[in-house]
Amino acid sequence: MEEISIEVPVEPPKEYEWYFIPVPKKFVEEAYRKDEFVVFVGPQHPGSGHMRIILRLKGDFITDVIPDPGYVHRSMEKLAEYKTYIQNIPLVERPSIMDFGNYNLGYVRAIEEALEIEVPERAKYIRTILAELSRIGTHLYDAGILAVFLGHTTGFMYPFAVREFIVEMITRITGTRITGSFIVPGGVRRDVDNDTLQKIKRMTYALENRLKKFEKIFITNPTTIARLKDVGVLSKEEAIKLGVVGPFLRACGVEYDVRKVEPYEAYDEIDWEMVVGEDGDGYTRFLVRVNEVSQSINMLRQLVDNIPEGDVISEDIVAFDRKDIRGSFFEAYGDLVLPKGEYTSITEASRGSLLFTIVSDGESTTPYRLRIVTPSWLYLKGFMESLKGERLADLQAIYGSWGYFPPEADR
Amino acid sequence: MVDVSGIVSGIVEKIFAALTANMVNIPILEPLINKLLQIPLVNLVVAFILWKPAFVILFVPGLLAVTVVLLIMIWWERKLTARIQWRVGPKEVSRRTGGIIQTLADGMRYMFQEVIIHRDAHKLYFLQLPILSFIPVLLPILLIPAGTIYAIRSPYAIQIAVALTALLPIFILGIGWSANNRFAFIGTVREAFLYVAYEIPLMIAVLSMVLLYKSGDPFVIVEKQWIPGIFMNPIAFIAFLIGMVMAAGRLPFDISEADQEIAFGPFVEYSGIIFGLVMGIAYEKLYLLSLIAAILFFGGWSGPEIAFLGELSYAIWLFLKAFVLMGFIVMVRAIYGRYRLDQALKFGWSSLLTFSLIGFFISAGWVIWLG
Repeated sequence: MEEISIEVPVEPPKEYEWYFIPVPKKFVEEAYRKDEFVVFVGPQHPGSGHMRIILRLKGDFITDVIPDPGYVHRSMEKLAEYKTYIQNIPLVERPSIMDFGNYNLGYVRAIEEALEIEVPERAKYIRTILAELSRIGTHLYDAGILAVFLGHTTGFMYPFAVREFIVEMITRITGTRITGSFIVPGGVRRDVDNDTLQKIKRMTYALENRLKKFEKIFITNPTTIARLKDVGVLSKEEAIKLGVVGPFLRACGVEYDVRKVEPYEAYDEIDWEMVVGEDGDGYTRFLVRVNEVSQSINMLRQLVDNIPEGDVISEDIVAFDRKDIRGSFFEAYGDLVLPKGEYTSITEASRGSLLFTIVSDGESTTPYRLRIVTPSWLYLKGFMESLKGERLADLQAIYGSWGYFPPEADR
Repeated sequence: MVDVSGIVSGIVEKIFAALTANMVNIPILEPLINKLLQIPLVNLVVAFILWKPAFVILFVPGLLAVTVVLLIMIWWERKLTARIQWRVGPKEVSRRTGGIIQTLADGMRYMFQEVIIHRDAHKLYFLQLPILSFIPVLLPILLIPAGTIYAIRSPYAIQIAVALTALLPIFILGIGWSANNRFAFIGTVREAFLYVAYEIPLMIAVLSMVLLYKSGDPFVIVEKQWIPGIFMNPIAFIAFLIGMVMAAGRLPFDISEADQEIAFGPFVEYSGIIFGLVMGIAYEKLYLLSLIAAILFFGGWSGPEIAFLGELSYAIWLFLKAFVLMGFIVMVRAIYGRYRLDQALKFGWSSLLTFSLIGFFISAGWVIWLG
């Protein structure tokens, strides 16, 4: 069919300007000339999360896409400048509350790097257990969201029911279901008793059983495979160029995992494999995370078996009880001042590399600047790139396959 | 001098006689009906209600049965889905019965909710189309007999009933057009695409059964089923079943409504009781197709006669068969996700069409073999 271009002056609606919608005039003009539609998905749409996706549609196909994030921006970085270092721990885990283990860990490691604190072995193991529990919980959460985006309600209910095991174990360790704030500079808040550790190990077997049922009903379901296979493909080169991180980078065939490349905590003391995919499509992105859950289960068992005895707080920290920091908080962290400089830590959070940078002026008890670069923000570009050329109905499938989490990206 | 009252009473008596000549016979209610028939004027109403063509529309398999289906089937679907998903399902309303009146409670909530008509809507069509959609729901029921209770007997009854059922998507297209919303438009176009993809295999499956029985008359069809039709032509049944799931907009073919993608598509702007009505359309269509499936594949109303119910027992058997079939189909929701539009179209035009054609040839083989 011959394409007819219409040379009419196009004015974008005034509302675009009023509501600060990031649509350039050229975008609208081109859409009109090429007989395309400009469709806004979100931020109140059931399949968009707390963000707006501005699409240009040619028939049913997406030709161009502009993300409009920032609807759940909470100014974490600015807030952190007004709080002491220890008060920032509950703050920095807020971007992704299911993933609190990794977020705490990243921030605390930056402080420990500044103060050059050596963490006791037992504390390292407990931290790793928390990080892996958070990882399983987050992956299950994302799988549930993916399922509900595909209209599969059972696939939504199963992971959320299974996640309750994880939450229960986190409650046993930290005392809260989510947002544990358990990891403090120099170690962890208090010791974990042997009974809880054995319970975690027993939980992993129950978890594995339930996940088999989930696999039967959702992962190998023909509708799931039909919706995700060869959808939203991102090639290896593109993924590297766009700075995609975490399981989504590994799904494109790139072998990069911070836990392997620069091992921290107890990751180099246990035996585990990096999960790498090949195709870079939606289904691989999902499968990589599914396999990471089984790796994490494997890790948890090893961590519980090999956990050494000893203190959970470093010798450098003032604490009345080496097994429990409660009651010594003011003495230990009240006047914590980092030496002047810039300290960075990279952590492998559930959705990818998480970067914390603390800039200290060497005088105040608050950071001069705290920089948080979250994985969701890093792979937003790759996510948008993978949408191009796909169908409108695939938008939700691709969204779910990326596990994009707006609060995490917006911070 | 003309005796006006005499003429009027004469006409009334004639109408009464015509109505009573064709009344539903229910032995258990006989004493009550006889007593009511003695009272003037009330007897006319009672005779009209029990007049078979009116009874078909008003009770089984008509309006009352549709209401029961809507109330019970939605509850059953939610309960069954909940069991599969490790949940309990509705239970707070009427705890002792397991929340069986939950749908009624929801319906009452809808009744008292404000019906919002947005500025862009075509007000007239937007409001009347959901109500008018009862026409293609209730018209086919005139042609679906339940034993001796029937309204119209025709050698083409099944074909006409299926054709009338196929009118429902036209109303959904109208609803989507009048809503004047971009998600409604997308959903409407999806519905229009799917409509052709499932309706043709569905009709071929029905016609292959009509060919097998050599008649579209439900009485002949039920009589000829010495074994249930499903065993005579299982391929046609599978084609009909999948076509039925697609026609009723159930998952995995819930494409035109897709709440995560286009927020209930054509029905996105509805609220209040009108929303309740449009959400009922899919269940009504499912019910009609289940009735037709019960007649074509499961021996219709044939079953052991329940003496005290008399003629009503046929209707009960037909209704039960349709109900069990529906109860099975609503379970599919918990097992599958949603296909994309192009995948569903591809499936409808290739696999499903092939299946229905194979069913047609099997029927033709039976006809040639049996002579």
